Amino acid sequence: MSRRTRVIARTFVGHWVGALPKAWFGFAPRAARRAAFATATRCALEDLGPAFVKLGQVASVRPDLVPPEFVFEFEQLQDRVPPMPAAQIEAVIAREFGRPVDELFSTFDRKPVAAASIAQVHRATLACDVRPVIGEMMPAGTPVAVKVVRPGAARIIKADLAEARRLISRLDRFGLSKRIDAQALLEEFATSLASELDLRNEGRVSDRFAHDFRDDPYVMTPRIAWSHSSRSVLTMEYVEGWRLTEVDDAARGGVDAFHLALHGAEVFMRQVLVLGRYHADLHPANLFVTPDSRICYLDFGIVGTTEPAERVNIAQVLAATVYGDADRALCYSAELGLIVPEHKQQQVRERVGELMDRTLNVPGKPADVKGFATGFLSVMADARVPIPAGYGVLVKALVTVEGVARAIYPDIDITQSAKPFATRLIAAHMARPDRIAERLPAALRAALRELAS
Amino acid sequence: MTGVESVAEDQFMRFLAAWALVHETADEGWKAAVTRGADQEPGSMGAGPEAFVDGLSAMVAEEKERLKAALAAGEVAPPGSKIDLESKLDDLLFEVSELRGRLESMQASLDAVLAEGGEPEAG
Repeated sequence: MSRRTRVIARTFVGHWVGALPKAWFGFAPRAARRAAFATATRCALEDLGPAFVKLGQVASVRPDLVPPEFVFEFEQLQDRVPPMPAAQIEAVIAREFGRPVDELFSTFDRKPVAAASIAQVHRATLACDVRPVIGEMMPAGTPVAVKVVRPGAARIIKADLAEARRLISRLDRFGLSKRIDAQALLEEFATSLASELDLRNEGRVSDRFAHDFRDDPYVMTPRIAWSHSSRSVLTMEYVEGWRLTEVDDAARGGVDAFHLALHGAEVFMRQVLVLGRYHADLHPANLFVTPDSRICYLDFGIVGTTEPAERVNIAQVLAATVYGDADRALCYSAELGLIVPEHKQQQVRERVGELMDRTLNVPGKPADVKGFATGFLSVMADARVPIPAGYGVLVKALVTVEGVARAIYPDIDITQSAKPFATRLIAAHMARPDRIAERLPAALRAALRELAS
Repeated sequence: MTGVESVAEDQFMRFLAAWALVHETADEGWKAAVTRGADQEPGSMGAGPEAFVDGLSAMVAEEKERLKAALAAGEVAPPGSKIDLESKLDDLLFEVSELRGRLESMQASLDAVLAEGGEPEAG
């Protein structure tokens, strides 16, 4: 066992032992026990550094791989590291473009505006005119944010990843990691890391998002300066605005917070149910509210996709959920791969129905989507029903949309935008000629039976 | 006019009257549902099947007004129309711009490689 592996093992065991009193030495109710160990695991990941923090962040959008209490605990992980000296960042830029920084940018702020484990961001201004893929020309002097991959970041993270893999295979041998699919999580992490290290992927998704929402005056993404971008450098328009945590100032500045929050939820519905591509890594740091009342989307690190056939079923599940119909929600969930064994269906249906009444249909109170999702995932975990990957990511993304909308307007009820959106989509599906042709004979037979009786 | 013809005409008129009555009743029902739906508080659509139908009727009425406005402004595009083609052209232009972006980024990387290794000899 290498020294680093011993450190990793010791850190996890130390925190888990520390959590035992909170978990009443294993005698606390199941949810409280899981919550205590989730907090301990989050602290261990923070202590072990950037690679593990990123691993936890990947886990935080995968309720199909880790229990719900861990998913929501890992949301709090902040990928922040001390900044790297500007000279090293400037060296990366010069190497990537074969030109010194002052030829590319007329000003370059040596103090970063953000520093995370994989990349850090500096403010600069363009030295020449740049034509973006979407939107108007960016003339020389346009303020930009230059995101640069930290040299050596990949090597350090990959080394830790290899150690974690070795440790997990040992734990697997003893059957200690059966509640968390750690191997799948590590695979997912390796894939997402490879994608994140090539910043061009993020730029492309951002451009595609801007194209998808070109007719929406309330949504924006920064324009990308491709002539100033490469695998390790992404140059994008610098967007002035408020982070979601500072939205009180925005409201005072005349932004219509209620409208923006509701619209933010609608944007998500449109991504999932109409376009088939959605930002699956939303959190308050990835969103800005601009002074002209627009929502600016940043950091397209994790993107989820939905197939056309899935979208109608998702709309059906969504509509059934927001209208409190547990039977229908579970029926269409099965179409999406969430299969509840027959002998457990009655019990699961009752628990989901109670949960809907408690969280989504309380008179006089806005729906609590997060409360419902946590409870729903717990019901499935208790019934040992595996959550399909796409389903889990979507549930988590919906919860995050609620969190984001509430950061803009605390009393918002996102089901108010989900209801009409899902209803319209289902109506459109029902009105499709092939669907009508399929249903018409049966409807006519039923009508004739009614007339004859 | 024979007696048979008169009876047939009466029945036909009766049929049309019944059809008009059904239409009128449905129209009144529809208008009442739209009014009830428009008066609903946010969130009341989930209160039961009737509330749902009222809310849905109000939504359909709103959509109808939007459709009327769009038709009046000539914005509704049948497949193959100018607007439909414009949308396809828009998608195609995006693909081309995206490709240009990729080429610009590749050109920047190529320039860097050439600068590192020295410019290749001409010819």
